[in-house]
Order: sequence, then C-alpha cells, then structure tokens
Amino acid sequence: MVEILIMLELLAPHLPLLDLICIGTGYALSQAIVFRAGTFSVATSGFAALGAYCAAILVVKQGFHPALAVAMGTLLGLLAGLLLAAPLARLRGVYQAIASLAFVEILVAFILYFEHLTGGPLGFHGIPRLVKPWMLVVIMLLTMGMLYVLGQGAIGRAFEAMRQDPPVAASLGVNPTKYHVISFALSGAIAGLFGGLDALRNFSLTAEQFGFSILIATLSAVVLGGRRTVVGPLVGVTILVLLPEIFRPLAHYRQAVYGLLLVVVMAFLPFGVYDTLRLRMRDRRLAREAAAQGGARP
Amino acid sequence: MTVLKLQGVGKRFGGLQAVAPFDMSIEPGRITGLIGPNGAGKTTVVNLITGVYKLSHGRVLFGEQDLTEAPRHVVARAGLARTYQTIRLLPDATVVENVIIGMYRHQNTSLLAEMFGLPSARAQTQRFRADAQALLERFGMTRYANYPAGALSYGDQRRVEMMRALALKPKVLLLDEPVAGINDVEAARLGEIFRGLADEGMAVLLIEHNMRFVTKLCDYVYVLDGGELIAQGTAAEVVSNPIVIEAYLGEAVDA
Repeated sequence: MVEILIMLELLAPHLPLLDLICIGTGYALSQAIVFRAGTFSVATSGFAALGAYCAAILVVKQGFHPALAVAMGTLLGLLAGLLLAAPLARLRGVYQAIASLAFVEILVAFILYFEHLTGGPLGFHGIPRLVKPWMLVVIMLLTMGMLYVLGQGAIGRAFEAMRQDPPVAASLGVNPTKYHVISFALSGAIAGLFGGLDALRNFSLTAEQFGFSILIATLSAVVLGGRRTVVGPLVGVTILVLLPEIFRPLAHYRQAVYGLLLVVVMAFLPFGVYDTLRLRMRDRRLAREAAAQGGARP
Repeated sequence: MTVLKLQGVGKRFGGLQAVAPFDMSIEPGRITGLIGPNGAGKTTVVNLITGVYKLSHGRVLFGEQDLTEAPRHVVARAGLARTYQTIRLLPDATVVENVIIGMYRHQNTSLLAEMFGLPSARAQTQRFRADAQALLERFGMTRYANYPAGALSYGDQRRVEMMRALALKPKVLLLDEPVAGINDVEAARLGEIFRGLADEGMAVLLIEHNMRFVTKLCDYVYVLDGGELIAQGTAAEVVSNPIVIEAYLGEAVDA
C-alpha cells in the first residue's frame, strides 16, 4: 500500500504527460480509422478544433454541463465528418490529403475571424479545468475498446478489404461509399470528443493549436506506432510524448531526433513499431506450428 | 431458364467499337464458355458484366433484376462472384479472413450491432468462421488458415481466390482465365471442381483462350474475335466451325 502511494507521489509531476498521451491517442485513433478504411484524409485536427471550441463555448458562455458540452462537441465532429465524406469520396490518395488539409486551414481561418465567439487570434481563455486525468484514461480505453470490437466484425472486414484493394472489395459486394462515410463519421466523432476533452483540461484554446503542427504530430504517431491496430496509435503517441523527456539533454536537437526516428522506423519497421512486432510474433508462431506439424512452410 | 442475360450489349471507347452489340445467355447448371484470341474483347465483356464499365448499348439482366447501370458492389450483391486473370487477394489478411470477406453479401446484422459488437454481430462472425473452415477443408487448405494469403504459393493463392468466390454462394460464377499458368494435371482437377459446381446448379461463365480446356469442359461456347461475336454453339460445333478455326489459326493458305 505504502509502495503504491510512494509510486503515485513520484508519478504525480508527470501527470500532465498522461493527459497529453490520452488526448494524443484520441487524435491518432481518429487519424488511424480513416487510414484503415483506405482513405488518406488529414482532417482530424479540424474535427478536433470543432469539438474543442464547441465544448469551450458551451461551458463558458452558455453554462452547459461539461459532459453535455463534450457530447455536443462529439456530435459536431461527427456531423463535420459526414459532410466532408461526400466531397472527399470523389478524390483519391494525395488529392484527398490536400482537400482535407484545406478543410483544416479554412477552419483555422474561421476561428481567427469569428473573434466574438472564439477569441480570435488572442485565443479563448478562462476555461475551467473540469476533466481529470482518470477520466481521460477511461475514455481513451473505452474508445480503443469500441474500435477494437468494431474492427473484429463486418465493418472491420469491409475496411480491411477497402484498404488493401478497393476494386476487389467492391466486387465482393462492399459498398465503398457507405464505408467511406462510416470511417469519416467515426473519425470526426472521435476527434470531436477528444477535442472537447482537450478544451476542458487546458484552460485556454488557440487556433494554432489545431494547425499544421498537430496534424504532423498525429500523422507521425500513427506512422510510428502502427495504423492497423488500436494499440499502435497509443504506442506511437507514447513514444513521441516521452521521447523529449528522455532526451532532455538533446532538447536543442528535438526536431532532428524526431525526424531521424521517423525515417528509421519507416525504413525498418514499415508497419510501425507495434504492428510490425505483432506481425513478427505471428510469423514466429506460424513457423512453430508448422514445425510442430512437421509440414513444410508454403 | 436464364440467370444472366446480355441483350445487345456493346462498348465503344471514344470512336473505337471495342465490342459490337451481341446477345448472350448464361444458364444455371451449365458451364458457358467465352473464348477468343488475345485482344478479342473478352476482358471488356467481363468488365461490362461486372459493372466496371458503363455499357454503350444494350442491357444486362440478372434474373428479374436489371443490372445495366449497376455499380460493381450491386452486381456482387445480386449474386455474381468472380475470380481475376491475375490473382487478387488481400495479401496482408490471412487465408481465413480472405474467405470470410467473401461472405459479406450474406450479412444481416445492423450497423449499430456491428458498431458495438452486440451478440448478434459476434454470432454472425462465429458462423462465418465455421463456414470458412468448411470451405478450407473442402479445398484441403485447413493448415494454411492463419497464414497471410500473400505468403502462399501461386496454386494455393488460386485456391484461396476460388474459395473466396464460393463464399459469396453466387448464382453466377465468373472465372477469368482460371487455369492460366497452371499445369494440365492441376487444371484438370480445377475443371472437375467447376463441373461439380455446375452440377449443383450454379451458372459458370468461363473466360478462356485455352481451346483444349474449353472444349473439354464447356456445355455451350461463345467465340469473340475483334470485338465481334463470330460463333456460338456446343463445343464440338464451335471447334469445327471454319470461321473459328480461321480466327484462331489464321487464314488457310492455298497450297
């Protein structure tokens, strides 16, 4: 008991890192879900901005209950995802990336413009800190659980087929538009949810918070950790959050270390740290089984 | 009784008439062949049937359903399964996952049940797994169930593709050059499987340019050349047709 208390005491100063990991994982999951459906959209930070400003405005200006405000933020993210799905469904690959990037930039511009609502360039301040770290952990785990369950069933199978070979998916009866819309709705809702949570733990919001840098950080986390499993994004975000802490002495070279790490991972662990390890373990298990049966490997 | 009927179907690309309007009917319990030399327009016909290309003329009828304007996934849901000339599996997915994705058209759970993994969704996945195991057994592939499909040998990948097509429990099975790159013994074995499927009442459409395989197997044959239907009839009729011989072997030279 005492040991646990001492542990908690030691960990307490690092609690803000836990916050960052949970929020970052939420964003990374939102990003990973569109990748899993074979879409190259980077709209996550835009959905997050909608959820964050929605929750902050409702709590501070309208006196909403925080849970309701976050729920509204989630809903707004979901609606934005649905709206964005239609035009993006007509595009492929890098064109989707550019169009979704434009969506994010337009949103950031709107946040700067509607000063009376969002605080404009000065930011939105005086948000009460209502979200506790344990809530973030619970909601993150619930989200991961839901995405895992969803991935095991029909939706996961359809996503998998669309990611690997869209024409084949269609020739098996998978309606590409339907799953495209589902992936965007999920991506929007998850980013809206974690955006709302982020707003209610950070005291203030600024438009830049949802600009290009968060987008890059989210993409990096997904590439680093893995994009096919729900644990991959968590691993990626954890590495990216903890790395600067571990390499404090290298603080000046942080961006360089960041870049180097990404290059190394992409070259040697092409499916991300977690997903690659999982695949290797599977291969080893299959080899063991084959050896046990005395059968030759295919 | 015709399950798939093409009425005056044709395709023009810009000014080029790739396939001149023609009729074709595919019946259950029968293996129908579509043959022709390279460049005859066979692949174009496949793409017209499966909804990849828009028709320039004519109509495609599937039982009572008009599939003339239908996109690919609607054609598949109506009950048409296909294999590809070059194998197209989901290489990262395991063999059993590749087969289960073929059962997509038999799903009957709601989106909400799938979203939250409700018992109905889980039961359905279990059922699909059992069905997939049965198919794997039939093709002697049980021990490769959990291997990534991309790791298998060419012949085994062909089997996986066949199993995936059969997982749709299709009314029409479209085989696009299924024995290309396969030796005669293996081809004969596949031929027996196709015959078995036809005997069970499936309509099989075999696209081939291997004359020998087609004449041995098909009940009725259509011959394309240069985008035109030049002959049709039983295998024996078609091979003895001078027009067909000319298309395949070239013009007779006067000695």
